[in-house]
Amino acid sequence: MIKKERPKIYTKFEIDSVTFYATMILFIPLVLVFTYVFDIETIIDTNLFLIILSIITAVITIIGTTILLIKKDSLKRQVKTNYIYEFYYLVAIVVFGILGFVVLFDYLGGDRTYIANILILLVVIFVYILLKFGSKFFNFDYRKKK
Amino acid sequence: MNKKPFSDESLNRIIKYLVIIILGFGIMLLAIQFGDFWNWILRAIKAVIVPIGVAYLGALIIFPLIKYLEKKGIGPRGFSLGLVFVLTVGLIFSAFYFLTPLIVNEIKNFFIDDFQIIVDYINNDLRNEFIFGADLYDRLLAYINETNIIADTVDTFVPNLILSLTNLLLPLLTAIALLPILLIFYLNDYEVISERIRSIIPAKHEKNVAELTSRLNVTVGAYLRGQLILMISLGAVATVVYKLIGLKYYFLFGFLVGITNIIPYFGMIIAAIPPIIYTFIATSGPGPLLVLVVNVILQFFEGNIFQPLIMSHQLSIHPIVIIISILFFGSLFGALGVIFASPIAASIRVIYRFFSDLRKEKLKTTQAEASAP
Repeated sequence: MIKKERPKIYTKFEIDSVTFYATMILFIPLVLVFTYVFDIETIIDTNLFLIILSIITAVITIIGTTILLIKKDSLKRQVKTNYIYEFYYLVAIVVFGILGFVVLFDYLGGDRTYIANILILLVVIFVYILLKFGSKFFNFDYRKKK
Repeated sequence: MNKKPFSDESLNRIIKYLVIIILGFGIMLLAIQFGDFWNWILRAIKAVIVPIGVAYLGALIIFPLIKYLEKKGIGPRGFSLGLVFVLTVGLIFSAFYFLTPLIVNEIKNFFIDDFQIIVDYINNDLRNEFIFGADLYDRLLAYINETNIIADTVDTFVPNLILSLTNLLLPLLTAIALLPILLIFYLNDYEVISERIRSIIPAKHEKNVAELTSRLNVTVGAYLRGQLILMISLGAVATVVYKLIGLKYYFLFGFLVGITNIIPYFGMIIAAIPPIIYTFIATSGPGPLLVLVVNVILQFFEGNIFQPLIMSHQLSIHPIVIIISILFFGSLFGALGVIFASPIAASIRVIYRFFSDLRKEKLKTTQAEASAP
């Protein structure tokens, strides 16, 4: 008899780690999305702003990693059947993150003609990553959903 | 023997419904005779209902936050309420403080830089670029000049608009002025007020009414919170994308996307029209096709990512039902009907499901009682 493969259910520690590091990877683009609207480049030098943002990201990453390691044991004992809300959070930050990457491209002096191409490429890559992560970690298969 | 077409029981029921309908019409006829009196009463009720309704809707958005804080041990109620209240007021104030100058600035710039260009375009270039040909344009212009249709429309539309705005403005201003006070009292005694309201209901129906109210609160609350997040998210995304493609008044157009998104499906279409027209007329910036493509993509993201993610499944109503309810409630209650068409449709569905569950439960109990020895 063929045994039906059961999806592995991950602990809160693993899910929190995924969401936290995803947030940190997208942190600079996420901030840029909102500062871009308010024309931050007219107030502060873009390169300096990016350096400050990188330092802040590094500091938050270190603090977050420490907290995750401290709470590791208690988080490893917490399990949920699915992590839909965590996945929704991930989707939300990815949507704004994609836009943020395009803003970053603009700030770094990229040619504006290629913005649409870059946007499409990023959307394809991130949608693929999200679908993979959704089914692997979050027990959320978008294709199976009604 | 011939079978009776109607049993006595169904005949009685038909007569009962007919009497109710005739009585209803009679009451309506009587009410129409005293139109002024009812208007007077309705105005008084409206003056009370509007601020209380707005406070109730505000409470539905804020109360889960207070409950969450209390669950996390941040209390008592006064403290958590104060915290949420200060945060909400701070957020609203900073939104006004930072966003208003930007929007006002863009409107001002539009009138300085582009308004004259648009007027010139309509007066001079529109004829040559008219999509159905210059001949039809001339005929249309002649018809407009002959019938004086624009002046007539403006003459009837503007006073009506001013009248409806003044009618709406006073209750709205009263509601805004009273809202903080009402909200504080309502949120502080949320459970007590609910309990008091429940105590008015006859004991026989108390359980059912409490269940129905709780389901309605959950549905309407989820809708309002979802709609608010949806408006902010889409407004922000649209603003960034508009700026990225080089649209001049990106903030104004993005703000428009956020605001109009309060109307499902139609909102995005309404918001797309001004930037498309602007880019069609403007000499610099992106072309109308790019703006159209951007809006189509935004609509796709709204329908397939934001809406299913933000709105909970209990609000997943079929688009046709939403469109019908927008048309129906819009014609009944005007702009407010259009805005609240979806939550009203969702509420009707909740009520229908509740009574259907109740009927099923009753049937089950009857069957169980009948089968019991």
